[in-house]
Amino acid sequence: MEFFLQLVVSGFLTGSVYALMALGIVIIYKASSVFNFAHGSIVAFAGYLMWHLLVNLQLSFFFSVLISLVVIAVISFLIQRFILYPLTGQSVLTIIMATLALAEVFSGFITLFWPGPARTYPKFLPSSVFQLGTVFITSEELVNFAICVVAFIIFMFFFRKSKLGLTMRGTAEDHQLARSEGVKVDRIFVLAWFIAIVMAGIGGFLMAHMHGVNQEPLIAMGMKSLTVVILGGMESILGAVIGGLAIGLLEALGAGYLDPLVGGGVEDVFPFIILLAVLLIKPYGLFGYKRIERV
Amino acid sequence: MLKKPCGTFDETYAQDMSVIRTPYRGGLLILLFLFLFVITPLIADNYALGVMNLIGISVIAMMGLNILTGYCGQISIGHVAFIAVGAYTSSILSQHLGWPFWATFPSAILVSGLMGMVIGLPTLRIKGFYIAISTLAFHYIIVWAILHGGDLTKGVWGLPCEFPELFGISFNTEKKMYYLIMILAVIGTVLAFNLVRSKFGRGFVAVRDNDIAAEFMGLNIFRLKSIAFIICAMYAGAAGSLYAHYLGMITVEQFPLIDSIWYLGFLIVGGLGSISGAIFGVVFYRLIAQIVLFAAPMISEALPFLSVSGVAGFTQMLFGLVIILFLVLEPRGAIHRWQLTLTSFRLWPFPY
Repeated sequence: MEFFLQLVVSGFLTGSVYALMALGIVIIYKASSVFNFAHGSIVAFAGYLMWHLLVNLQLSFFFSVLISLVVIAVISFLIQRFILYPLTGQSVLTIIMATLALAEVFSGFITLFWPGPARTYPKFLPSSVFQLGTVFITSEELVNFAICVVAFIIFMFFFRKSKLGLTMRGTAEDHQLARSEGVKVDRIFVLAWFIAIVMAGIGGFLMAHMHGVNQEPLIAMGMKSLTVVILGGMESILGAVIGGLAIGLLEALGAGYLDPLVGGGVEDVFPFIILLAVLLIKPYGLFGYKRIERV
Repeated sequence: MLKKPCGTFDETYAQDMSVIRTPYRGGLLILLFLFLFVITPLIADNYALGVMNLIGISVIAMMGLNILTGYCGQISIGHVAFIAVGAYTSSILSQHLGWPFWATFPSAILVSGLMGMVIGLPTLRIKGFYIAISTLAFHYIIVWAILHGGDLTKGVWGLPCEFPELFGISFNTEKKMYYLIMILAVIGTVLAFNLVRSKFGRGFVAVRDNDIAAEFMGLNIFRLKSIAFIICAMYAGAAGSLYAHYLGMITVEQFPLIDSIWYLGFLIVGGLGSISGAIFGVVFYRLIAQIVLFAAPMISEALPFLSVSGVAGFTQMLFGLVIILFLVLEPRGAIHRWQLTLTSFRLWPFPY
């Protein structure tokens, strides 16, 4: 029972990071119907950039965050203006291929400039271990979870109440209609990319703070958060959060109970097995819209 | 689209269906055969033959992906996983059971085809990027299975594989292997070329262009999609089997996800839904990789702050940028541009 509770708690905490990354993917998809395979790579890039600014250039935390935000904004603009804008109206394959190629460009960039082992951040969060009954939680995991919850609440309000959020939802519904109402659709897309990368960047940064920045785990996380999006439904923010927590939980439980049986590594593959099952049983996810197609 | 030069008319059905329509095309084909089977083995050294062998194996793999993605419109990011299935089937059979090449090669194709059928199952309900993600999941599952296969796959240490032996000849040198690979690549290409002109091929194109409309026309789209997946996986299995027997040693690192992305990307660079485009894509991909490999010392000399492993990153960035450039500037691939050029030459000096 203790083991089970420990697994549930740690699964929830990992799941909150998945949820943050999945939120980014959902936001991009909702705004511009681009399914972003490059998410993990871009987050890894943001993580390395933060490391470079903080450790190599010895800038203060505030300036590092500021510069990272500016760089992310520029990247969002470049991606939108020079890659996705010319591809408007192209087939699904073209869009998928574009984001896949983008992922490779970013991870190639990381390999080129920051090769080698994982980078570690200077610790600035207090690192201590709490005990709740019989369950141990580190403070970093708690902060991570709290940030996820706060981000989720902010985004619920942003998309329900604020004018900009409503504009983004409207744009997602119908580009032409939004345009005729005077919405600058291109800018909305850039904004969506910016928000998504920042969101996922926070998650990636917190993960990196715990385990160090490393390219491959972050990219694998990006791929796993794709499964989260599928489970939760492509268009649903609530689905991304619930899906993220569910996948984190199932992954932890699967790893905890199945690892001794098959010799480890279950957490790398369990989300994908769940994904195949979801695709067979409920292909549009828990909260996704069923697509109706016309010839 | 103008495909034939002026003055070439088909007068019989046989002419209409023939592959070689003009003497020029026939001559080109003979030249290609001379180049492949006479000139290259004569002049190429072992290194060049090795590059050609890799190209041949990739051509076989690419033919499968071209049928699935180019003709049938289903996106697969798990192509390398199918290749890995073929390679590991071959290695396991030859290593643990001692089967000869003529038995392992068809078995690899068969096992891979079965995997393709399983992965094709979700196509009953999903399409588009859902398919892409299910093939991605397949990749991760296969890699995990290889890593945790115990004695069967030997995990991270990899599995040795015998050189192929056929009719008493052991294909243990680059040159002998070259003939084997090229003959199989040519057979694979011819089969693919004929398949896409058959009933199935036309069905694939109909499914790609609009699957709902295709269903209205009376095509069984689930069956067609499954067949496309099976054929794609069988080609990949053949390529994987050859790859394993050619290298003599396979590990899981030889089948990274990134290779699937390059296969798909360079299929688009070459031209989707075109046999010659697929071949062009493969050759282009392998040749750029070679050029970068030769240019690597110069790059690291010019930019000393980059490490040696940085060259891999440079290649990755370059490939990614090439694919993005093609997607943005010429989404129909190099072969389309080539046909436009040919057409404009044929019509010159008239605009159309």
